[in-house]
Amino acid sequence: MKNFIRIFIALTLSATMFAQAPAKKSAPRSSSAKPVASSTATMGPVALKGGKLLTISHGVIENGVVVIENGKISAVGGAGTAIPAGARVIDCAGMTIYPGLIDSSTQLGLTEISAVDMSNDLVETSDEIMPHMHVSDAFHAESDLIPVTRMNGITNAIVSPASRDTLPGQMAFIQLDGKDRDDMLLVRDISMPLNFTGSQRRNQSFANSRYPSTRMGMATQLRQTFIDAQEYMQKWDDYNKKSSDTSKDKKDAGSPPKRDLKLEALVPYLQGKKPVVLTADEPKDIKTAMSLAKEFNLKVILESLTRGQIMVDEIAASHLPVIVGSIYEAPDTNERYDVEYSWPAELAKHGVKIAFASYDSHNARNLPYAAGYAVAYGLPYEEALKALTLNPAEIWGVSDKLGSLDVGKTANVVVANGDPLDVRTDVKRVFIGGRDIPMVSRQTELRDEYSK
Amino acid sequence: MRTRYLSSCVTALAALLPLSLSAQMSPKPVPQDTVIKGGTILTVTHGTIQNGSIYIHDGKIAEVGQTVHAPANAIVIDATGKYVMPGIIDAHSHSALDGDVNEATSPVTPHMKMVDAFDYTDKALYQSLAGGVTTSLLLHGSANMIGGEAVVIKHKFGLDRDDLLFPNAPRSIKFASGENPKRVYGSRNQLPSTRMGNFEVQRAALQEAKEYMRDWDAYDAKVKAGDKTAKAPKKDLKLDELADVLRGKVMVQIHCYRADELLTEIQIANEFGYKLRALHHGLEAYKVADKIAAAHVGLATFADWWGYKVEAWDAIPYNAVMAMRKGVIVAIKSDSNDFARRLNQEAGKTVRYGGATEDEALRMITLNPAWIIGVDDRVGSIDVGKDADIGIWNADPLSTYARVEKVLIDGSVFFDVNAGKYGLPFWKDAPMTGRDGFGNDDSDGGVDY
Repeated sequence: MKNFIRIFIALTLSATMFAQAPAKKSAPRSSSAKPVASSTATMGPVALKGGKLLTISHGVIENGVVVIENGKISAVGGAGTAIPAGARVIDCAGMTIYPGLIDSSTQLGLTEISAVDMSNDLVETSDEIMPHMHVSDAFHAESDLIPVTRMNGITNAIVSPASRDTLPGQMAFIQLDGKDRDDMLLVRDISMPLNFTGSQRRNQSFANSRYPSTRMGMATQLRQTFIDAQEYMQKWDDYNKKSSDTSKDKKDAGSPPKRDLKLEALVPYLQGKKPVVLTADEPKDIKTAMSLAKEFNLKVILESLTRGQIMVDEIAASHLPVIVGSIYEAPDTNERYDVEYSWPAELAKHGVKIAFASYDSHNARNLPYAAGYAVAYGLPYEEALKALTLNPAEIWGVSDKLGSLDVGKTANVVVANGDPLDVRTDVKRVFIGGRDIPMVSRQTELRDEYSK
Repeated sequence: MRTRYLSSCVTALAALLPLSLSAQMSPKPVPQDTVIKGGTILTVTHGTIQNGSIYIHDGKIAEVGQTVHAPANAIVIDATGKYVMPGIIDAHSHSALDGDVNEATSPVTPHMKMVDAFDYTDKALYQSLAGGVTTSLLLHGSANMIGGEAVVIKHKFGLDRDDLLFPNAPRSIKFASGENPKRVYGSRNQLPSTRMGNFEVQRAALQEAKEYMRDWDAYDAKVKAGDKTAKAPKKDLKLDELADVLRGKVMVQIHCYRADELLTEIQIANEFGYKLRALHHGLEAYKVADKIAAAHVGLATFADWWGYKVEAWDAIPYNAVMAMRKGVIVAIKSDSNDFARRLNQEAGKTVRYGGATEDEALRMITLNPAWIIGVDDRVGSIDVGKDADIGIWNADPLSTYARVEKVLIDGSVFFDVNAGKYGLPFWKDAPMTGRDGFGNDDSDGGVDY
């Protein structure tokens, strides 16, 4: 929903923006805004001592110690935890220490100034079916948005194309620091949105319409696409089988089928090797999209579901994880004001595994506050923390590396002067892959420049 | 069946009679003597009173302190363990206008009155009331250099339209410059398509008004002197409004972003001798905050919005506090149906970005916006004599975990989290109105940021 609005704004504004390059203002671009070469091997061990540890996986440790070595967490424990000789000890008394937060839907690296079209690579809108687009091909690692985001403790994120197409392309899972782009793209093509919210329809006026202009059209187009991809997959399976059959002459296999990048991109999903992120809001759309997914045996992560309240039991019975839609979505007319605020709590109460997403880019940094607000409306605090860390790590298949303060995991660790979910809390330090990230962004540079 | 038919007949008849029309809404509440007892009172002007009480009489705050003396039959609201703060004031809103935000048919439309589009049944008013907002300034959009006259409302959701209008509120008018008017008129190949054009249009309109005012002043002087032959100049609503700006009868609220624009706006106000009340958005105010402070101009800004267009590229979340430290009266405002629901959290961000004290942060959504609107003598703090516009919260309102439980306006409870389906004691379950989404300002093509 939000994605769509953002695009719309960009479109309405873009016409006259075209001629204006994003002017370079007074603040110099900081080198820290860019990925910085970091050799974690030579950094030496770091010990964060005396803070309150929110481990996520094994409770809270007061006055605890976290040791970081070679980019990984090498020890987590109470005050008596051994600190390796030569370690840089950072006094964290009064601080709260927690694993880096994971934002399960952003457009980081795909936009710089929303209204400036030339700075946007959000989605290809020439067709609804664009699974062969890869956000990793557009991801701008030097974006000024990234330091702004990570300074609030967000260390990893899904980068997703905007939701204008039913199949807008392949998402990436990023780390918000690294030597270069390749280092930041932890998992390319991690998953693919399947959007069915109604806002993917085109040209709805009778005077000037193009297929698909209705939900029937959208669903049918998707079905045809998946059938085509199944046939494509079959052709290749047949060919591969024949050409690898040692009992027969290789020539019998004939020439290989023509490669089709669009259909090829769908194969891992039809094989159940990767999940689609099924995005829908209204119950009717959730049902239609779910039956499509079932028809083609797709592995599913649910997303948004902002109007799904009446089918909460059905959602729970599916045992699928849910990336909860923005809790700031406007309630329908004549709905109670807090119906969206309390929706994450409702899902969690029914046993659904949830994760939060900002659905933002410039203010993806506000991700933890949405979780906090869900707590105000009934979500247990521990669940809210998990929904920013371990739950998304599990949903995205990276929980062996991320999502908790545990030995052996990547040292994505945040030190803040209070509760991570409170808007007043100031993040003091962020470690990503063990690197002590400079707490500098374009915004702090402007602040400092004009505070002189 | 029959009864239903009859009742719909009655409704249809009632709709024909203006007097009966308001009778469909709830009758005006009669303010009861009320005591809010035992809460942590955030007065905004004189610190925090632990375990304090407020006595409300005739819709006004009659006493506030550790203890109060009230009649035995006063209604008692137990606020033990709760936080009590003044109603939140939003100095920049386009809610409840049914999308009629911009009369973008000419860059100069001072004669538009936002009250003419005010939709008092819009759900956005309810949703922000449930976020603790009691007063809002509903402004024209930023498509035009000179928009229309704003309307100040109280969120007395459920009452009749006129009951929601803030009585005798000062007049404010919306001006705008920068990308939005450039885009709207530039896309039509009309003036103004540049910032040069922006300010030329503004100056030309003000110059015309100056002459109009001079003609009327001359005529009024003649009449006063007993000249029976004096001929009145033609009455022109557009120039009338601008003449009132020049006479200092209407406060100017300016939408602008860049530091240079802020300086130009101050300069033009000096050229024509009118008073700027506040710069709205003003995301680069931190660059010229000393000059804004020296001009005694306020600032109504976002907590952390940035990067949505070129003129918002240098926006930093430290803006509000940096400007405040230089002496500018700063408000955090919503400019959106969405943010109007949690301005308390937006204010909380100023603690994190720049280190505002909790009192300073609260002032940015209460007394300071009240000053910008010109109603700070009546609302914006918990002080004796002020309107009893009060929110009772379950937690410190600057925290993420705060939910408002009760909202009083003029001493009556207009939101109570436990009252019926909606929490609205005065709403009679008639259908609400309002567009979906938050785009009253976005969806009309004239984005107002």
